[in-house]
Amino acid sequence: MREFPEGREQEFRRLYAAYFDAVLGYALRRTERPEDAADVTAETFLVAWRRLPHVPPGEEARPWLYGVARRTLANHRRGERRRSDLGARLRRELPAALPDAAAEVVQRADVTAAMRRLSARDQEVLELHLWERLEPREIAEVLGLTTVVVRPRLSRARARLRELLGNEPEPLGHDLTRHPIAHREEPT
Amino acid sequence: MNPKLTDEAVGALPLSPGREELLEEIIMSTPLHEAGAPGATDARSRRSRWLVPLVAAATVAALATPLWWGEVTTGGTAEPTAVESADPGDSGEAYRVVLDAPGWMLETASVEASSAELTYRRGADQEVSVMWSEEDSYEDYLVDREHITDPPSPGEPIVVLGRDARMWAYGPTDHTMMREPQRGHWAEVRGTGMDRAGYEALLARLRLVDQAGLESTFSGGFVASGAHSEAITEILHGIGSVADPVLPADVAPGSIASDQSDPYHLGADVAGAVACAWLDELRAAHRAGDEDRAAAAATALATSRRWPVLREMADDGGYADVLWGYADQVAAGTVPRGYRQGLGCPS
Repeated sequence: MREFPEGREQEFRRLYAAYFDAVLGYALRRTERPEDAADVTAETFLVAWRRLPHVPPGEEARPWLYGVARRTLANHRRGERRRSDLGARLRRELPAALPDAAAEVVQRADVTAAMRRLSARDQEVLELHLWERLEPREIAEVLGLTTVVVRPRLSRARARLRELLGNEPEPLGHDLTRHPIAHREEPT
Repeated sequence: MNPKLTDEAVGALPLSPGREELLEEIIMSTPLHEAGAPGATDARSRRSRWLVPLVAAATVAALATPLWWGEVTTGGTAEPTAVESADPGDSGEAYRVVLDAPGWMLETASVEASSAELTYRRGADQEVSVMWSEEDSYEDYLVDREHITDPPSPGEPIVVLGRDARMWAYGPTDHTMMREPQRGHWAEVRGTGMDRAGYEALLARLRLVDQAGLESTFSGGFVASGAHSEAITEILHGIGSVADPVLPADVAPGSIASDQSDPYHLGADVAGAVACAWLDELRAAHRAGDEDRAAAAATALATSRRWPVLREMADDGGYADVLWGYADQVAAGTVPRGYRQGLGCPS
């Protein structure tokens, strides 16, 4: 369990500043309504605050947060009520802030349509790979699986998507020079 | 539908007041004590079971006396066929689904306490994927499957193993069905490389089994209940034949535990625990600036390619390769990142 020499609050503020966009982006990409994305974001960070000593340090915090967001999202899909009233202002602001037709989207509409024809499991690993740019080890962390399970699943999913599209889709919208993302080779 | 914005585009949204207010609300209104957050689990509980490639040994032969023959009807009009013998599910444990069809080989099985994913294969092109999980995730999966088609569809009603189910087609030779929860678990079976008639014929060859029934479809060599301690000791002894000491000084052999009956799972638990202990030791030694301790840990990990348990497992799955990959990084002079997640280290 982690300790925080500079204080727990300071650590949380750092985490929030570093990953707010990533968590809200994750939620927005998977919800129908902006209000739901705001709720998922609020609940995810609430969990992170309460369980801060369990949040991995450094970049590993990102898949951990996605994992929490994923479970929060599942609760929402089951129609569970929000557990808190946090984030009321974000709920109000977000619908107005979202552009009608965004230029910076993670992928083309035809890729989104093709992915919908895949199984939910295939879709999910592909989304984490193409939208969040996660490597298999990080996808495994989000899904609570091991890389041994994720690797072939991702490989199969990519192959199925290729079959549907006739080519390998390139992620769009991520400017890697502005937002460098490490692509480390997994140990095999 | 929300636009699928990039993180960069999300960062550019004019949300500063809402973003700051949420931060302050969380910090100010939430007690600081550790809460049992419903959305989060610790590393141990999230640890999944290892993929078990069962390769050729796992032919699922038809049993002489079926425990429960499945039936499948379409449109809910046909009468279920007769049950041949007692349903083992009277115990409440027979929610596990296996395929019992000649010519089909069980290729992989990833089995957890209350969920699993099995893959069967016949020839190069035909595959059946069987999955079950707990009831509380049923609606999530159902909603996802309803989007297989465009526009979304509730699926075609069928009956599988005496229970209502819904079927969708990904394509002419690719179908899936979700069976409603029974005994707290739902099941999904997807068949690729066969037409609808072939798929339905396979649904009729499904069986419900309990844990013992599931294990009986696996290959031999399972560790019996009560024999785990002895098996763990044997594995550690094998590691000790090439590594001395087997574990860091502050880790007792008795602390290594596993309730896995599959030898591959058991081997992954034990070899993983030993490797994790040395990687933890290496990391701690680096932080303390203790070069001797770090060198001892690196030496121990360098023996991993000769651990008998890993050599035996190497052809059956990727766990040994993953572990050796970390050992190679250590040999190259680095402390691997993310090894605790990668190996599923005990917390």
